Amino acid sequence: MTSKRVRTSELQATIADLKFTLYMLSKNPLVVIGSAISIFFVVLALVANLIVDPAVANQFDFQRSYAWNNPVINWGPLAKTVGGTTHPLGTDGYGRDLLQMMILSLPLDLRMAFVIVTASATFGIVIGAIAAYAGGILDEAVLRITDIFFAFPGLVLALVFAALFGKTIDTLTIAVLLVWWPPYVRLIRGQVLAEKEKAYVEALRAMGAGHLRILFRHILVNSIYPLLVQATLDIGGVILTFSALMFLGFSPTPALPELGNLASEGITHVFDAPWLILFPGLTIILISLAFNLVGDGLRDVLDPRLRR
Amino acid sequence: MVFVLLGVSIIVFTLSRGFPSAINPLGQYITPKTRPEDIEQIKKIHGFDQPLPIQYFYWLRDVFRGDWGYSFWAQGLPTNEVFFSRFPYTVELAIASVILTVVIGLPLGIISAIRNNKIPDHISRIIALTGYSTPAYWFGFILQLVFFYYFFLWGLPHLPSSLALSQAFEGTVPQVTGIPVLDGLLAGNLGYTMDALAHLILPAVSLAFISLGYLARIIRASMLEVLRQDYITMARSKGLKERVVIYRHALKNALIPAVTLTGLFFAGLLGGAMITEYVFAWPGVGRASLLAINQQDTNFIMLYTLVTAAIIVMANLVVDVAYVFLDPRIKY
Repeated sequence: MTSKRVRTSELQATIADLKFTLYMLSKNPLVVIGSAISIFFVVLALVANLIVDPAVANQFDFQRSYAWNNPVINWGPLAKTVGGTTHPLGTDGYGRDLLQMMILSLPLDLRMAFVIVTASATFGIVIGAIAAYAGGILDEAVLRITDIFFAFPGLVLALVFAALFGKTIDTLTIAVLLVWWPPYVRLIRGQVLAEKEKAYVEALRAMGAGHLRILFRHILVNSIYPLLVQATLDIGGVILTFSALMFLGFSPTPALPELGNLASEGITHVFDAPWLILFPGLTIILISLAFNLVGDGLRDVLDPRLRR
Repeated sequence: MVFVLLGVSIIVFTLSRGFPSAINPLGQYITPKTRPEDIEQIKKIHGFDQPLPIQYFYWLRDVFRGDWGYSFWAQGLPTNEVFFSRFPYTVELAIASVILTVVIGLPLGIISAIRNNKIPDHISRIIALTGYSTPAYWFGFILQLVFFYYFFLWGLPHLPSSLALSQAFEGTVPQVTGIPVLDGLLAGNLGYTMDALAHLILPAVSLAFISLGYLARIIRASMLEVLRQDYITMARSKGLKERVVIYRHALKNALIPAVTLTGLFFAGLLGGAMITEYVFAWPGVGRASLLAINQQDTNFIMLYTLVTAAIIVMANLVVDVAYVFLDPRIKY
């Protein structure tokens, strides 16, 4: 049993560590910019439905389609002007304001990214950690199964799955999940294998701690950092994969406000209305770049080899 | 390796044959006019009335005989013929984009490491991370839009936006390797080669832009690690020039992880960059597999996934072996 004093000093050490990490992060301007942008997008996603009425997504006005009323940038003879209200980023093929549609698509995109990353990380961590800790046949079996999924051309599996079970948001989520978990298994496995040979694990065992407690309270806590970095980097990756699926025609409905779907809907009229693929695409890049900057900075700071 | 391939084939087989409601393996044999008794006959001939495991063993037996079935998507040509006639195009694209990735990614990573946390590092970091934050299809379309459409509108020399060769050149040179650039060189036909190269630029750039970020980041990380080691301090204190220290001493050791990554990239690209090939209408296997999925051509999907999986497994093996040569500390 740990006394209260030991606990508080442990806590203080953790806080000091955290403070140091934050300090190191704040020294890197790119990380600060990246976090600011990602926080901005997350907040925007949370309040999106308050800023823009979600019902707008279903109000089609074909009179107004492919209109460009922005006085600042002029696309020349390509853009047609429709009188009335201005649309800062033009309108799409259904006559909806592109900026509004992009804001409306944020909740779906970000929620999808967080759900997929959290679920695949959790699944991968639990499977990989148990397998590595137990060793033997279980480890071997898990390793072989991950090998199979690694050798798969990922997109093919997701596409076949989505083609089989229909084009709904749920099946698409599962399809992406299916190809997203194996890297986590490998990552955590390597970490746990290295950690479980360390002296503190032996001490815990001598103390009489159970396997579950050793694995989940101690080993996992010590090996979670690389996974944290990977998860941050993967948020951008999931948004990209998801939008690629939309582009390949796996969108549930063509009018769905989703960044990838907006961009791929714009492709048919790319010569008349280039803003339709330009702005949603740039938004995808910006979101994913922001999360990647944070993840990349985290990796630099948390990498023990570089932390001296 | 055999185990992995068997596993992959079982998964795809089950997905493609086990759910007849969604993807009907019979679909390619029947038309609306086929009589019900004929359907029964077809089912019997092709073994679709058997349980799934037995179907799988029949399939496996045929594969070992070299019979991959007929590709519904390619108007009933033998699947392996279709696949291997398209494979050279994918190889061409893969080689071109790997060369571009290394040529741009390597200096980017080195600069990033030696100017760590300074302006050049930040710039290189932004380029690298933007690369892998960009949707492949989107970047492809933007490249086409600018270098084909707008350059055309502005009266500038514009690059071709699709296919691997202009129609005018098709069939003017004997197909020895199947790779257009190589065939043109072998035949000594400069116009042909230049045309093939021009077609190659946009897809290769679009692929390389996406992958060079990974390479640059890996090189940066391993360079930083190597530069902290004692032998580098030693080399510096001997009075060696900084350039010699970095390129002769540090880079050699820092390159080992980069070699792995490049090898795996190449393997991945050999499996076909589905989206980029699709955007640029590149006649390679990646685009073919997408079209095959759309038309539920199970035979082609089976062959494609198996070859891709085999390439990836092989690449892993080659990389492991290469490690031993590159790093004398590693022994198996």
